[in-house]
Amino acid sequence: MWIERKVLAQEIPAVAGMDTRQLCELLASLGFPVDGVVQREGTEVLDVDITANRGDVMSHRGAAREISAKLGQPLAPIPAAGQPEGPPVVPVRLESPACPVYSTAVLELGRGETPQGIQAFLSALEASAKKLPAVDASNELLHRYGHPTHAFDADRIKGAVTVRWAEAGESVVTLDGVARSLTAQDLVIADESGPIALAGVMGGDSTKVTEATTRVLLESAYFDAKTVRAMARRHSLHTDASHRFGRGADRAMPRVARDLLVDRLQTWCGAKLVGAWTAGSEGLASPAVVLEERLMNRVAGEPVPLAEAAEAFQRLGCAVEAAGDHLKVVPPSWRHDLSIAEDLAEEVLRLRGYERIPSVLPPLEGPPEPLSPLYLQRQRVSRRLAHLGFHQTVTYGFISPEADAAFSAPGNEPGGRTLANPLGQEYSVMRGSLLPSLRAAAEQNLRQGAREVRLFELAPTYASGPKGPVEQYALGVVWGGIRGGEDYLSPARAVVEADLGGVAQALGLESLPQVRPLGEGLFAFEVPVTALPQPTTRIIPAFRPFSRFPVVERDLSLLVDLGQSHAVLAQAMKAALPADALQDLRCVDVFRHKSLPEGRQAWLMRLRFQAERTLVGEEVDGWMASALAAAESLGARLRA
Amino acid sequence: MDQLLPAEIVEAGGAFQGALAACADLDALLRLKGAYVGRDGSHASRLMERLKAAPKEQKRDLGAAINALKQQWEEGLKVRQAELEAAKKSLHAQASQWDPTLPPPVPAHGALHPLNRLMDRLVDVFRPLGFHVEEGPEAETEAHNFDGLNIPEDHPAKASSDTFYFAAHPELLLRTHTSPVQVRTLLRVAPTLAERGGIRFLAPGRVYRKDEIDPTHSPMFHQVEGMLVGHNIGMQHLKGTLEYALRALFGPHTEIRLRPSYFPFVEPGCEVDVSCPLCGAKGCRVCKGSGWVEILGAGLIHPNVLSYAGIDPTEWSGWAFGMGVERMSMMLSQTPDLRLFFENDQRFLSAMGGLD
Repeated sequence: MWIERKVLAQEIPAVAGMDTRQLCELLASLGFPVDGVVQREGTEVLDVDITANRGDVMSHRGAAREISAKLGQPLAPIPAAGQPEGPPVVPVRLESPACPVYSTAVLELGRGETPQGIQAFLSALEASAKKLPAVDASNELLHRYGHPTHAFDADRIKGAVTVRWAEAGESVVTLDGVARSLTAQDLVIADESGPIALAGVMGGDSTKVTEATTRVLLESAYFDAKTVRAMARRHSLHTDASHRFGRGADRAMPRVARDLLVDRLQTWCGAKLVGAWTAGSEGLASPAVVLEERLMNRVAGEPVPLAEAAEAFQRLGCAVEAAGDHLKVVPPSWRHDLSIAEDLAEEVLRLRGYERIPSVLPPLEGPPEPLSPLYLQRQRVSRRLAHLGFHQTVTYGFISPEADAAFSAPGNEPGGRTLANPLGQEYSVMRGSLLPSLRAAAEQNLRQGAREVRLFELAPTYASGPKGPVEQYALGVVWGGIRGGEDYLSPARAVVEADLGGVAQALGLESLPQVRPLGEGLFAFEVPVTALPQPTTRIIPAFRPFSRFPVVERDLSLLVDLGQSHAVLAQAMKAALPADALQDLRCVDVFRHKSLPEGRQAWLMRLRFQAERTLVGEEVDGWMASALAAAESLGARLRA
Repeated sequence: MDQLLPAEIVEAGGAFQGALAACADLDALLRLKGAYVGRDGSHASRLMERLKAAPKEQKRDLGAAINALKQQWEEGLKVRQAELEAAKKSLHAQASQWDPTLPPPVPAHGALHPLNRLMDRLVDVFRPLGFHVEEGPEAETEAHNFDGLNIPEDHPAKASSDTFYFAAHPELLLRTHTSPVQVRTLLRVAPTLAERGGIRFLAPGRVYRKDEIDPTHSPMFHQVEGMLVGHNIGMQHLKGTLEYALRALFGPHTEIRLRPSYFPFVEPGCEVDVSCPLCGAKGCRVCKGSGWVEILGAGLIHPNVLSYAGIDPTEWSGWAFGMGVERMSMMLSQTPDLRLFFENDQRFLSAMGGLD
């Protein structure tokens, strides 16, 4: 909200001598930070941030009231000449409790213009003057005192004025020229022809004030906040008036604002008052709220004398009654945010200054809880992968249905994970797999000239369930491009599927996950985090003895079929060997060449033996013979 | 004396030193040796033939001259051979050595994502105070995301223009903040709150709001929520904890400032500023010359939030804070564009994330 400095100083003279920075800090200390200061119309204008609970501060008067309370400095009086009220010129009927009071007046406009100073004030607030005194006065009043009012062309109103709920099927063309169809939840101002304004939101086109207008009917009412909020939302019509009524206006203001408006029109253009009157009444004061000393002191973190608190409330315009260890506080008509004791405590702290709050560490009342194993596991896996050379990515949880379909598990129907109101089709499905996002990130890196790409993500994936999407953390790893070749010792080669197998093994995955090709030289796997080894409760695993006797290492070069499974071969060979002596058996080299018999390849199998004694050559020879025999039974031959 | 020797030998003798120096390796030296002092056809052997055929009276002088010449040659060859052998040896030695300034093989290095790194850091900072981590789902109920947090039923944030809803489950939405984790956790611990002695936790996580993607907006971002419930908790405890945590994060000379503000789930509410960690509160572009940067929103838990979870607000009280991880990362790193955090370019990740 824009606050013009000179006008603010007219409401609270104490700020006239303040420098801008001081004023900004003062407003921030009250809870209204200043987002910027600009020069407009030869004056300084502050962009003040008003929180949603404080509609009462959305005016120069409102901001001044806050400053006055904080500084204990007086506000300028409101120069309202109380207009004598008389009988209604036009009948006004209030048919809904959403409008308890409606002050109005009918005036005959004279000749005259909106004063230059007022036009400049409105321009400074980026609210351009319409040069129609009735319209400009209403607008100026809103920014100055915060109470929205409206002027109708009285000659275009047909018969009595009623504030009532709209009937289904009714409509009104608002000032912006848009035809609005109404519902029974819309509060309208109506004449005998039907609705002529959306109450508290916007006036109607058929009764608007123009240059031809000679008689105006003023409206200065109170409209229920919730009703106005709902209407503004329903019609997507967020106006200066709806912002203020929607946050709660001042019930005591309708008559005052009407009088101020009449006064302006009389002064600016010699308007003649035909009659002023009020329908309904302002209603009862807000209920009292009790603030106990104990709660006040607990919130403040130190004893706050009740007398000091009482004084703060008085400065804020509350009625206060002290009673022993508590205060009974009746908030002023403009405050709608003071309904519980904590609200009151905050007010006292605000006026005392948050800088006075002591700084104390809260005592532990019970033992701290450990971090959950699942959380710790994700932390460890992330670090492990980062140390293995992978970069952690963060990608959006929603992807396109096409990308999702390519990777989600069969049976994981996208319907249960689809957003009703996505940003666009490409962000519409909560992903069933991390791989589409990882592929996109990997391809983007390769396009950008990366020689090698290694990425991983740990994030929830979604599965459609009867009660809604079920989330499960998954790990996705993608690797592609050329590895090595960046120094004189590491040869360059393309990343292959087996490299991903190595990563899976390094992470301790019990069974190798399915490695999926994601495109040219790009491979990936994805596993639910639950498949990763869980941290055990043991700090250090149980001791397992190991042999200190020498290791015997033997190689066996075999010719095997091109389709031979290593796992099967190794299993068969292991089965033929003493489990207590065989330490390891694996293929350490694969040789494929046209010099070999067609359909065959050469595998160099390395066997390591170790036992709780020194092994003798003959027994190892015997084992090697058994191993070979086992291999031969699967069609392998010793390579000559 | 030289006149006793044949002209070509004299010439060869004169060329010897040059030829010797020109021998680049032992093979060349061996060839030179053969040419000068070899058994057959060398200059030396031809001289010896000449000596045999020389008249008797010349033999002595000629013999001496030949010997001197031979000796000179042999000596020269020996020295050169030693030189060449030493050079060869040193080459051998070099061949087994590598220049230590050659780029070595560096183990691959990856990186944690900067956003995760910052969230991990926050957890580290709060651990010593007894905070653990609570988590909740991203697909939340309206009740957990709004109602349990004292957010009015007609709050604009509930609109489909602000919040993503699920098509097949209209009561479910993508959480718009990490605060529903408060609601879930309080509901869970409410029955045992007294035995536990209250609760204190952080809730880091991803949240969603319906914002178009641009340099300062993203429909998905991260928050870290903090909450503490105990007996007689007031604003002083919020201030004390945040002062501790923000000093642990930004350095011991960091100052914090609380300003009144409003969030439906706290009362009193505040915004917390920290003395600018980039300029040491001297005033810079980041703090817009003010020396302060806004870092988080906080306050005392609204009694309605405690009551919703079944916790008696006249016995228990607490504080909560919420912090935007991207905003803080951008501020600390001065990253100009939020989209960089979701683009996942390895250059950005290596530079910004790194390893702890």
